[in-house]
Amino acid sequence: MSDARVHDVRFTRFEGEVEGEAGAVLSLARWSAFRSMGAHRSWKVKLVPIALILIAFAPAIVVLGLRALFSAQVDINTERALPYSDYGGMIGIVILLFAAVTTPELLCPDRRDRVLTLYFSTALTRSQYVFGKVLAGVVPLLVVTLLPVWFLYLGNVVFAVHPVGYVRNHGLDLARITAGGITVALFFGLAGLAIASLTSRRAWAVGGYLAFIIIPTIIGGSLGEGLKQPHLRLLGFSVAPIHTVESLYPNFDGQGVSGLAWGADSVAVMVVSLAVLIWRYRAVEV
Amino acid sequence: MSTAIIGATGVSKRFGAVDALRDVDLEMGHQAVGLLGANGAGKSTLMRVILGLIRPDAGSIEVLGLDASRRPWELRRRLGYMPEHDCLPLGMTAADFVVHMAQVRGLPHRSAVLRASQVLFQVGLDEERSRLIRTFSVGMRQRTNLAQAIVHSPDLVILDEPTNGLDPAGRDEMLHLVRRLSHELDIAVLMSSHVLEDIARTCDGVVLLRDGQVALTRPIEQRERDGSGALQVRVSGDVGAFRAALHRRGLRVTDGDEGGLLVAADDEGGMHDAVRDGAAEAEVGLYELRPAGPSLEDTLIEAME
Repeated sequence: MSDARVHDVRFTRFEGEVEGEAGAVLSLARWSAFRSMGAHRSWKVKLVPIALILIAFAPAIVVLGLRALFSAQVDINTERALPYSDYGGMIGIVILLFAAVTTPELLCPDRRDRVLTLYFSTALTRSQYVFGKVLAGVVPLLVVTLLPVWFLYLGNVVFAVHPVGYVRNHGLDLARITAGGITVALFFGLAGLAIASLTSRRAWAVGGYLAFIIIPTIIGGSLGEGLKQPHLRLLGFSVAPIHTVESLYPNFDGQGVSGLAWGADSVAVMVVSLAVLIWRYRAVEV
Repeated sequence: MSTAIIGATGVSKRFGAVDALRDVDLEMGHQAVGLLGANGAGKSTLMRVILGLIRPDAGSIEVLGLDASRRPWELRRRLGYMPEHDCLPLGMTAADFVVHMAQVRGLPHRSAVLRASQVLFQVGLDEERSRLIRTFSVGMRQRTNLAQAIVHSPDLVILDEPTNGLDPAGRDEMLHLVRRLSHELDIAVLMSSHVLEDIARTCDGVVLLRDGQVALTRPIEQRERDGSGALQVRVSGDVGAFRAALHRRGLRVTDGDEGGLLVAADDEGGMHDAVRDGAAEAEVGLYELRPAGPSLEDTLIEAME
């Protein structure tokens, strides 16, 4: 005789402990982040974010792999071959595309499908919604802005003749890498979310975001070169956070613009983006 | 503090030149109350005030003992809301969405999964739980919407026109579900509709809104409407034989409205049985049997005029 039993699934009242506001915000952020990366969705949606993550790791994997395989034959100095300061610039286009793919997915469907009515009929406030979405936009971006460089650093520690000595001598680099990764993720994440908050259509959000980042860069670069006004390069939003990160390292070349100016430029874009986000969701009627 | 589920005093709300609510006084003590009114009568605005989504310009409103204007977030933890319009994420499955909403409402992951499973079963979406919402019919979407509104076991669920867009079978099922909420699952219900029958089938009390004002508040089952305890009876067939059969059972019979009979007795307890037996004896068809006096529909129509 089988031990199988039939259970009567009845509606019972939930009597357990509910998590506080932080739990609700984290839940919103977690669900949103996973869905923007393609979780619980078809493989086609997963393909692009996963491919971009792999490409972001590729330089570190190649350099560390070459060193691991051929260290006996060739003396490869990975720090010179792939400096931490240059990593962001090398995968800048990947970061830009990753943000373009993931950030609209965080906001546009909620507006298009009018899910905001449901969110705001719960205990979730508008600021908490925005905070949750910023978290959901920035944390996945850290996978391409921070983790690859951390991975490179870890590889360098492993391959160093004296790993403990390497960590001791390059402790500041770890802080620079972390600060740089967070800055770049915040910049591209906030800008992407701000643009996405202006429309319910994903295609418009992606196009608007790429236009916002790329067109001023072309105009600023051309005018800066033509008019010999280096500060016009500050319109280069696609490179502003990258130069800000580079300015954290010694021997920074800001193409005639100081590291401080690039930093202020990046912060200004982030502040304006956040203001747009808050304004858009404060004005939402439910 | 009021013991009523909802207590409103002098609530007014104005949008530009339009008075959406005017000096609304309301006390909802019943487990299920219907908010009835034509389009634009102020039903949705009143619901949004109750949810704390908009602040009234004047007056105060207490829901479950909490001030809806001052403590909206605390209040919303105990409320469920099913909006009138489509508001579901089309790219998610019903199960994912209900789990997600449970977590947003503060349930831990394991409890959210369990509760989502229970409520989807209760609303009849057990089999379709893993399908994308975009593939659902209107009725299935409405059920998903209802599931997300009750997944956290709210004390009060607010349903804005839950039968909108449903075909007769879907409407019937939805009304049955709504009735179960208050009568079996112990969740107080505030449901808006512009269809009287929907309210009469699911609610214990009705509030009629007209031009932003409460025109009438009354229980659905108002026995002894005219105070006499008499019954209004209408039959098809030999009315004379039916009268005689009722007389033989000690009932007093007089002419009622529109060809009906008013039946009264000293002992009201056995009156319904006597009418039934009289109809059987006279071999007439009984097609109306209700307390005498104006019907719910009559009262509401009068209040709306």
